[in-house]
Amino acid sequence: MKLYNVKLLTITCEILAQENIIEILKKHEITGYTTYEVDGNGARGLRGQGLKNEKNIKVEVIMREEKLQDVVEEISRTLFANYAIVLYVTDVGVLRPEKF
Amino acid sequence: MEILELIQANLLTPIILFFLFGIVAARIKSDLKIPEAISEFLPIYLLAAIGLHGGIEMRNTGFENMLIPMFVAIGLSLLFTLNHYQILRRLGKFNLFDSYALASTYGAVGAVHFSVGLSFLKNQGVSSEGYIAAILAVLEPLAFILAIFMTNMAVAKQIKAKKQSFSDDAAEIDIGLNQTKTKLSKVLHESITGKAIVILLGSIVIGYIIGKDGFEPIKIVFDDMFTGAIVIFMIEMGIIAGQRLDDIKKVGVFLTAFAIIIPLFNGTIGVLVSTALGLSVGGAVMFGLLMASASFIAAPAVLRHAIPQAKPSLYITSALGITFPFNIIVTLPILFAISTFVHNGEGAIDLFYFITEGF
Repeated sequence: MKLYNVKLLTITCEILAQENIIEILKKHEITGYTTYEVDGNGARGLRGQGLKNEKNIKVEVIMREEKLQDVVEEISRTLFANYAIVLYVTDVGVLRPEKF
Repeated sequence: MEILELIQANLLTPIILFFLFGIVAARIKSDLKIPEAISEFLPIYLLAAIGLHGGIEMRNTGFENMLIPMFVAIGLSLLFTLNHYQILRRLGKFNLFDSYALASTYGAVGAVHFSVGLSFLKNQGVSSEGYIAAILAVLEPLAFILAIFMTNMAVAKQIKAKKQSFSDDAAEIDIGLNQTKTKLSKVLHESITGKAIVILLGSIVIGYIIGKDGFEPIKIVFDDMFTGAIVIFMIEMGIIAGQRLDDIKKVGVFLTAFAIIIPLFNGTIGVLVSTALGLSVGGAVMFGLLMASASFIAAPAVLRHAIPQAKPSLYITSALGITFPFNIIVTLPILFAISTFVHNGEGAIDLFYFITEGF
């Protein structure tokens, strides 16, 4: 079995920033992603209680390294200042690199 | 004295008691909470009930006399938003973004306020004009659109001023202005197609079509159960407000005072103006309540996108933690007392005297 190296970008942020992130991904021609609602605690206090608008969301995107730089740059430039957001990148192996 | 008695009587209604109970439950860190699906369902249910009620009433009374109150409501809402901004920016020394976000939160209307108001009137045996539900729908996006427009203009101006001191390059201003346009059209589209307005307008139309006879088979759900449903929602609201109680300290004295005085002032003006326009006792209370209410469900969703620089902890906490409890416990009975007072006895001349004095 041959595994190809690509990057997994994981973003945990407030649910109201989800749309902005999806938009940025779209702009860089990335259409595949997974999101799920999460709870947690962080710099902005306990999140995920009460109103749905105050929940957190986790977005996972697999992409090639070439795109990663631009996407991360744009997210950090446009969203870091005003939103509750954390992102990190990991190396993952996939079987079908042409998908990403 | 009568007002105090009304407040006291209002305090002991199930709606208020369950709200306070929710706060207590949150304070003692109970794990009590309303399941998420239900707390998402209830606003939709409440809006549907409000819309049906409004639509049926509109069929009875017609809606030709709704236009003037609606335009007046639009005018007042915009005026109040600008007024809030001046107060917050100049007296409160808040930054531009927080000022506009707060100004529009208090200029906007709250559907939960509206539901509590309807049930309060029902309790008092007073009816209100159905078209106020239509005014609720029209006012919903209004204050936000104004605030977003003003914020973007202010930002564009700042960019322009900065640019001019360096060079005459106008490219970035155009980008700023274009962003403003796309932002506004997006907000407009999102609010009009948003679930709150869609369900409200849809129910008004359906209520208008079916009338009293058609309402009969669904009356048990949308009329008899209305207050009960609010009570359940109030537990949830109480819990959320209770969780935010600690944040109120961060809000500061100025905003706390603002969150109490402004609704009372706006609401009183609303009651007097609508009375002058010829609305009934109950109609004037609902109109006043619309003016007094602050938005806390729609506000974060709209403002977080449109004015992300504004701190949500300020506008959510003040609207939900201070203004909402104050309005349903104190403002509502006061507005009712004022409305009853100006509808009985007082002549039209005195009334206009009140209004000019208010402005």
